[in-house]
Amino acid sequence: MSADVELNNVSVTFGSFYAAKSVNVKINGGEFFSFLGPSGCGKTTLLRAISGFQDPSEGSVLIDNKDMFGIGPNKRPTSLIFQNLALFPLMSVSENIAFSLEVRGVSKKDRQKRADELLELIALEGQGEKKVHQLSGGQKQRVAIARALAVEPKVLLLDEPLSALDLKLRQRMRTELREIQKRVNITFIYITHDQGEALTMSDRIAVMNEGEIEQIGLCDEVYNNPLTPFVATFVGENNPLFGKVKEINQNKVKIETPDGDFLSTMNENKRLNIGDEAIAFVRPESLFIPRDGDNFDNQIDVNIESFEFEGNIKNFYATLTSGTRIKFSIPNAIDTSSISSGTKLQLGFESIKSSILPKAQLAID
Amino acid sequence: MKPTYFINFMMGMYIFIFFAYLFGPLIVMSITAFNSAEFPSISPWECFSFRWFNEGKIAYDGQHLAGLLSDWRLHDGIISSLIIGAGVVSLSVPIGMAAAIVLTQVRSQLRDIYYSISIMPVLFPGVIIGISTVVLWDRIAGLGGDGFISDVGRNGIFLTILAQTCFISTYCFLIFVARLQRFDQTQEEAALDLGATQTQVFFKILVPYLMPAIASAAVIAFLFSFENYNTTVFSILSDQTLTTVIASKVRLGISPALSALALTIIALTIIAAVTYEILRRRSEKKYAQSQEIFVKEKAASGRINKEYKAGFKVPKGIVAILLVLVFATYGATQIVKNDLYGQSCIDAADQEKKSKFLEQLQTLESNELTEEELSGGSLGGTEDYGDIFGDPSLFQDFGGFD
Repeated sequence: MSADVELNNVSVTFGSFYAAKSVNVKINGGEFFSFLGPSGCGKTTLLRAISGFQDPSEGSVLIDNKDMFGIGPNKRPTSLIFQNLALFPLMSVSENIAFSLEVRGVSKKDRQKRADELLELIALEGQGEKKVHQLSGGQKQRVAIARALAVEPKVLLLDEPLSALDLKLRQRMRTELREIQKRVNITFIYITHDQGEALTMSDRIAVMNEGEIEQIGLCDEVYNNPLTPFVATFVGENNPLFGKVKEINQNKVKIETPDGDFLSTMNENKRLNIGDEAIAFVRPESLFIPRDGDNFDNQIDVNIESFEFEGNIKNFYATLTSGTRIKFSIPNAIDTSSISSGTKLQLGFESIKSSILPKAQLAID
Repeated sequence: MKPTYFINFMMGMYIFIFFAYLFGPLIVMSITAFNSAEFPSISPWECFSFRWFNEGKIAYDGQHLAGLLSDWRLHDGIISSLIIGAGVVSLSVPIGMAAAIVLTQVRSQLRDIYYSISIMPVLFPGVIIGISTVVLWDRIAGLGGDGFISDVGRNGIFLTILAQTCFISTYCFLIFVARLQRFDQTQEEAALDLGATQTQVFFKILVPYLMPAIASAAVIAFLFSFENYNTTVFSILSDQTLTTVIASKVRLGISPALSALALTIIALTIIAAVTYEILRRRSEKKYAQSQEIFVKEKAASGRINKEYKAGFKVPKGIVAILLVLVFATYGATQIVKNDLYGQSCIDAADQEKKSKFLEQLQTLESNELTEEELSGGSLGGTEDYGDIFGDPSLFQDFGGFD
């Protein structure tokens, strides 16, 4: 059983401070939805508004088309997984998992049965008698998920639960979370500042900044067609090229920058006029070293400053003629041994892989 | 001598002096409990005896000096003290806990004010709390005529429980505040989110977490109540607690029965402390074992390559134990050698004292004053106190009991 969650014009204020401002979003039943944003952008506040710890100052939260105003967290069909997990240290694993049933007066036998079922779901069979401190980080994570699922909630809310884990475990848990979501088939609302997490797990994501939603969309849509400079630079990496709009031809826009003119693609929703201040974005992986026969829409002269080896790719940091710094990545499979600091190169990129947006705040200021 | 040895030696001396200062009086007092003399002393040593733990003695002049077992006033005092202690614990712990929980809910500047007010009772002199309780309840008792209120308002035990709770609940408050500061409030939120009501959160999450604090607050409250004097002496009215009994005994001249009582209390304290320590170590060991099993399960087999086995180790306190044994043996041999124990010794000592007393009595009788001297005349005294306070300078240097 899953439920729709709808936020209608939700604002949460603390004094004169807007933690969330006029948020409108409709999350479908059974969807894996992520709120993505930097620390302090208001995503946790939104989660608390959905779970019932914080009533919105304005607007309404609807779960299953029912206004939740004034209904406490213990009466809502939601379960929250806390950032620090908040497992009960004085109880055993089974007691933790069955806590929600205990407070509902379920008999001990039924509680034990349900706890065993859930232990099986999270692959921790036979470990119910252990104390929480005897579990490893990933196991604690799974116990927290089982505890939240024990009440059969319609919506599961996750507040950056993976942030304390190491990289390998985090990657494994991403897959596991996704699988659990498919198995139990309920709505997952996930909060994270890690765009990798959001992109790999979610059906749709909402990018937030300073209490407001900047963009809602499918993962590849948000990545490929960002609506604001903030989204462009927060989700994945992006090189901004500042300039003025010189020519507009349908959705192809020519921007004039100190480093030359570049052809870029304009999002249909964003209107630009000739002479407007704008930023063209090009991602590190979309910049190529041209080989014979290659013909790119745009050429750009760079001077290599330094590089780093990341494994599957090699990252190069370079300056343009105006001094602007850019980054580009070359797959490790391509031989780049001839390039070292001080090398002058001409790179190319396709206009279709570059997006142009009106000048506004970036995420990396 | 190497400088480190010198430093170690000085350190050892310092620690020795420190503990001698701390425990010296207690040790001396404990030894006096076994001396049969009426006045607690080590020297001169009369006889080794347990009489002050038992019946005490009837002195040669007919005065009964009660021992620990036969002193009904002491027994009544202990019983009142226990009742008051239980009352204070059952009031102070909930009050302290409630106040501490409220502190976690209060935000902003109000928090500091609330905290200051809450800890204020420990800053008041106990005497003032005692007197003000009596004054207030005397008025309240006066309102209700002869009924229940009047009885309660003039009941010393009830008033003492209230008066002591005033400041003891503050100590409990401080214990709870310290524990609550480390409480992860998301646990409460997690429980709420899982469907628990506020009451369930309190009893299933907060109370179990606070259990150690509840236990230590109860112990502290009981100990503070049991040893309190300056509040109790006013609020107890016509009843007596252990402390007021002891104080009134001191007024009449101290007896070795008090040493016996002190030794008993010290022994009980030490037994309790040692028991607690043993239990604590045992549970710690259990925890360490479970952790070890956990690590062994988790770690790859190659990581733990050594099996540690603890051999027999000489406990570090062995020097102190040996020292005590040496002194005890020396004392015992001295007592046996000089025949300073048993009934025969006590009888001999009594006989000696009795003869001394009779001698003194004869001297006094021979010096008896004439009627004329007693009525003022030649001594220059007045009739009013001449025969009662023979020496008017007797109480001159007396500064009071407290």
